[in-house]
Amino acid sequence: MNHLPEIHKFMVDNFLFGDGEQLRDDTSFLEEGIVDSTGILELVTFLEDTYGITIEDDELIPENLDSLKNVAAYVEKKLNGVPVAEEEAR
Amino acid sequence: MQFNLDVLKINSAEETKRVTQFVTEQVAKVFRRKGVVVGISGGIDSAVMVSLAVQAVGKDKVVGLILPERESNPVSSQYAIMQAEALGIEFREIDITSTVDSVVPYSKRDEFIKKLIPSYGPGCKYNITLPADLLDRDSFSFYVLQVELPDGTLEKKRLNLEEFRAITSFANIKIRSRMIHLYAEAERRNMIVAGTTNRTEYILGDFCKYGDGGTDIEAIAHLYKNQVYQLADYLAVVSEIIDRVPSPDTFSLPISDQEFFFRIPFDKLDFLLYAWEHQVSIEQTSKVLELSDDAVERAFKDFASKNHATAHIREPAYSLN
Repeated sequence: MNHLPEIHKFMVDNFLFGDGEQLRDDTSFLEEGIVDSTGILELVTFLEDTYGITIEDDELIPENLDSLKNVAAYVEKKLNGVPVAEEEAR
Repeated sequence: MQFNLDVLKINSAEETKRVTQFVTEQVAKVFRRKGVVVGISGGIDSAVMVSLAVQAVGKDKVVGLILPERESNPVSSQYAIMQAEALGIEFREIDITSTVDSVVPYSKRDEFIKKLIPSYGPGCKYNITLPADLLDRDSFSFYVLQVELPDGTLEKKRLNLEEFRAITSFANIKIRSRMIHLYAEAERRNMIVAGTTNRTEYILGDFCKYGDGGTDIEAIAHLYKNQVYQLADYLAVVSEIIDRVPSPDTFSLPISDQEFFFRIPFDKLDFLLYAWEHQVSIEQTSKVLELSDDAVERAFKDFASKNHATAHIREPAYSLN
């Protein structure tokens, strides 16, 4: 299932005040200042409440949550039971 | 630009002269007041600031206020008194517990924490902490509430945004209470309040709006923490303060500044921040600091995020003027 539209709507409504014109699927939330590092917790609450998933501490990484594309892919993996924690530290 | 391990070195004598001239001018010409009040926390920044104030206007025109509350580390007051006595200034210790409690009772704060960690109760201590290893691994800045039970056991809970905001709000009452006492003293005595925020804190937003950010002058806000330590050596700050691990001393369970806010060890932090501010390339920075490119990139992104998110606390109130 494609969760991207729902996530896109949440981001636009809560962080962009309805103006989502500049938000592409690969736009980095942090780099574009759309969400700061603590604001990402608001997204976490939304994802956990909406999809019934539990986001573990070691999954709170940009690779999983720092763009619409990354978030949608992460949610899909969580719902399908695919491991998503960061691999060995670089 | 040239980036190396000497970029943070300062000429302490010249810097002291520059800062003291600034303080003197602010007191005598800009504000036209009788002296300087400094909140002495027992930490390095306030120790350096009060030392500079004495050099600027003389010890008879400097007043130190030591402002602990019931959860402050007792060592903080001890060190603050040592520094004040070493400088020969007038100082006073004021317990601000009742001030803090009058805004939101400690009991209300405790009830809130108990809802998050039911084991929390009398004899427990708490703090909130970030993942402290940003150079080692990538992660967002999420806060974890830590409660130490009387038997030493540690229980933890990751905070959601609402919980984080509530706990931060409780903590900031302490910091803003200090501002009230500093201004009560300064206004009564026709003095100015000298802040103690350093550049590292200023740029990244590690201060409280109208708390420790509510001051008349910020005479060391241009100095990285590393440089504050250089001045501390030059000014002969009390050695216990120089050796002490920097801490916000806001929570009943001790925590370092690195664990609470910066997430990067101090021996690397200011060099990385300098590099980011001066747009040094990731490659050059990683080479000089012997870090991976990924680690430097994570640091730079964190700085950008913190700087952007805290822009409003460096600005005066927005208005239509």
